[in-house]
Amino acid sequence: MEIGFINKLINAIVSDSKQISAVSDEELVRMYAQSGDEGAFDEIVGRYADKIYGFALRITRNPSDAEEVFQEIFLTLSRKLETFRGESKFSSWLYRVTVNASYMYLRSQKKHENNISLDNYAPYDEHGTLMGRIMYKDWSSRTDIIIFNKEAVIIIEKAINELPEFCRTVFHLRDIEGLSNEEVSDILEISVPAVKSRLHRARLFLRDKLSDYFHEWRR
Amino acid sequence: MFMCKDLVENIMSYIDNELDLETLNALEKHTGDCPECMAFVNTYKRMLEITGKLKDKPFVTPEIRNRLRILLKSKIKPS
Repeated sequence: MEIGFINKLINAIVSDSKQISAVSDEELVRMYAQSGDEGAFDEIVGRYADKIYGFALRITRNPSDAEEVFQEIFLTLSRKLETFRGESKFSSWLYRVTVNASYMYLRSQKKHENNISLDNYAPYDEHGTLMGRIMYKDWSSRTDIIIFNKEAVIIIEKAINELPEFCRTVFHLRDIEGLSNEEVSDILEISVPAVKSRLHRARLFLRDKLSDYFHEWRR
Repeated sequence: MFMCKDLVENIMSYIDNELDLETLNALEKHTGDCPECMAFVNTYKRMLEITGKLKDKPFVTPEIRNRLRILLKSKIKPS
């Protein structure tokens, strides 16, 4: 009996026995890679379209660049999904593909970011105090920000996009996507202490930026 | 003596509940006495709350999704 037919039969049984939404990523990859199951590929697109586009947008900071990267990734996946070897979680592998594709795209477009260094970024003065630096811009109890309206989101996005690239990627994966330090370390191929260090400086910078923006924003 | 600088440099471990008891006590005592640090902790926590909400924000518009669908349809040959 032909192997392709057997795979299709297996996939049909899997599809019948459980909803496709309950199938693991790795199983979907196998279903598509082995027999071109379009339903499996559609499910992967459905699960990851937002994550891939959002991450590419965070790196490129430009919607049309992000869409180019996004399309290229799914096109490559549709042709070479079998290159996923299952050595890490599918989601981690896909985030890594997105980082690489985004950087490659930016290089091809000769778009270079002038990264500021946050190595020594800190809100305290030379005496180690915060005196007079935080309270007068305290926005923590403002309800207009907490309800997360459209204007507040624009301000938050603007502040995040001011982070240097090497901090922005860490911040996005860790604090927006909610991945663990270990997962971020695996995706970006940097050590866990480096993840923590970049995240720490990113958060300090972002807290300050948000304080400045929200302080100026209408009350 | 525990300073504002110590709070700032330990804030991530504080949020993640990773501080040893001695440092935790010193940090909470300092925060109780220092309104600047209290405001720092509050805005820091609030920042994490609101940026975490971005996860639920849809990035891909129906138009982007549709363009992808058309592209894939035109480029993929059924196996």
